[in-house]
Amino acid sequence: MHWFNRKRNFIAMLGPTILIYCLYIVIPLFVAVYYSLTNFKGIVTPEFIGIKNYIKMFGDRYFLVSVKNTAIVLLMSILVLLPASLILALVLNRSFKGSNVYKALNFLPNIIAPIVVGLIWGYIFDPEMGLINSALDLMGRVAWKQTWIGGLVLTPYCVGVIYSWQNVGYIATIFLAGLKTIPNELFESCQIDGANGWQTFRYITVPMLKETFAINIILIITGCFKIFELVYQLTNGSPNHMSEVMTTYMYNTTFISSRYGYGMSIAVFSCIVTMSFTLIYLFILRRKNDEAGGLK
Amino acid sequence: MDKKMKKQHKKRARILTYIGITIFTFIMLIPFLFVLLLSTKNNSDIIINPLSFPDKLNLTNYINAFKTLNPLLLFKNTIVIMTVTMVIEMVITFLSSVALTRIPYKHPKLQANLYSFLLVGLAVPIYVLLFPIYRITIMLHLNGNFMSMVLPYIATSISFNTLLLTGFLRGFPTEVEEAAVIDGCSIWKVCFQVIAPIIKPVLITVFVFNVIYVWNEFPLAVTLISAHAKATISLGLSLFKSQYTIDYGGIIAGSIIIMTPQIIFFGFFQKYIVEGMTAGAVKG
Repeated sequence: MHWFNRKRNFIAMLGPTILIYCLYIVIPLFVAVYYSLTNFKGIVTPEFIGIKNYIKMFGDRYFLVSVKNTAIVLLMSILVLLPASLILALVLNRSFKGSNVYKALNFLPNIIAPIVVGLIWGYIFDPEMGLINSALDLMGRVAWKQTWIGGLVLTPYCVGVIYSWQNVGYIATIFLAGLKTIPNELFESCQIDGANGWQTFRYITVPMLKETFAINIILIITGCFKIFELVYQLTNGSPNHMSEVMTTYMYNTTFISSRYGYGMSIAVFSCIVTMSFTLIYLFILRRKNDEAGGLK
Repeated sequence: MDKKMKKQHKKRARILTYIGITIFTFIMLIPFLFVLLLSTKNNSDIIINPLSFPDKLNLTNYINAFKTLNPLLLFKNTIVIMTVTMVIEMVITFLSSVALTRIPYKHPKLQANLYSFLLVGLAVPIYVLLFPIYRITIMLHLNGNFMSMVLPYIATSISFNTLLLTGFLRGFPTEVEEAAVIDGCSIWKVCFQVIAPIIKPVLITVFVFNVIYVWNEFPLAVTLISAHAKATISLGLSLFKSQYTIDYGGIIAGSIIIMTPQIIFFGFFQKYIVEGMTAGAVKG
């Protein structure tokens, strides 16, 4: 269209977006990489030290603990969240009366501020006055009581459970969208062949959902690397950094201990990890869309 | 006979579905129900027997929360930041998406590259940007100013908005716009009076998604806001917790006060919210 073909309009329409995007996303990325190569501590001018921070990182016991905890959160989330949301999606897919209400109620945790979610679950996992331990007391199962949060071991497992609770409705919605794309004829021919429910699920539903599985797993992976508020609110890393995840350890190193250079190297490292998963994800989406002949 | 059995079987399956989904949903709602229960008890009851039912409705915690947490101030701060953010970002990302999909490019490669460039942001976790944005805020002398929050919120929404808006715009034929141009409409008129009404559904989805994002946002708020008087709701609640750790009832009531408008908003815009949250995931 000739009428848009004017440099002035072009700049007026794209300019503000590109300016803000560069100033707050692109330039900060380079700034982060720059600081990660210095020993900046906030007072003296930053001194360039090359990749020393990155080498230090892998000898830092607390950093390794935070990586281990992030991995536990991730593992828990995949083990709990993936099957739970698939089951939820399969049930919601039966489109019964009121299924929308159930869908909405299960989605609800996903829109609550994560900081509030952390606060609420603090009252469930709290070792002294939390719901779980009080319930165990009432049932007389005192031996089952655990230091769910704030101890040395269980915090990341609990964070995984909370993350699953937050996202089960969300992941289920994506599974649901995948289920809707499976042609009905496939199920019908299965029925004619006399396949039972499990066989249909095993040989039709699961293979047809292969890409949806891949998308959801990557969403869970990138999502777990972004968990921050939950840990910040529940324990903030205590005792002695033992329940830290990568994001909170980076935050505490940078803003609480003022080791800006070192903190940024942790941030850049986790950024690279998440970015690679996101790229795989975009690749899968693209292939899926190409197959469907949709948008690129 | 066989038909009757089949019907019975179907009915049984439906009842089982209802029972299953109701139990599942109830378990999902336990955390909400539990804090609702706690919010009506005094502090010693919360600690000693959190599971008991109170004999009478006790709203002291809510009164205390209104006094100490000052949720109205938090709402006000958040709504000011959110309103300015939403107005600016909706306008600029809408215009840039129109420019990306409707302008004929001399170099088609440029168009594709600009698009990919704007989408890279989807892969950048906010945590790597916190400290650099903090430095930039100080450099621009924006610290303490609410624009220090508005600008990064706009920036972090650009990729998502571009993805959804351009996706939607590409699917629409350009005839109506061309007709409007022939009628002598200016470019701005075409954008706001012709294109915007056509793509209203996706604009609502984008809007609702970003409202929730800004409303819930915490990492940037905790990094950039230092004055208690300027705290947003997420930040306010976390400050409140560290300040009044003893007043459990007040904190719980405070979090319920904070959640309520959000749940009402969700009730109204549920369809668009679910769509917006999942659209970014399944459209490429």
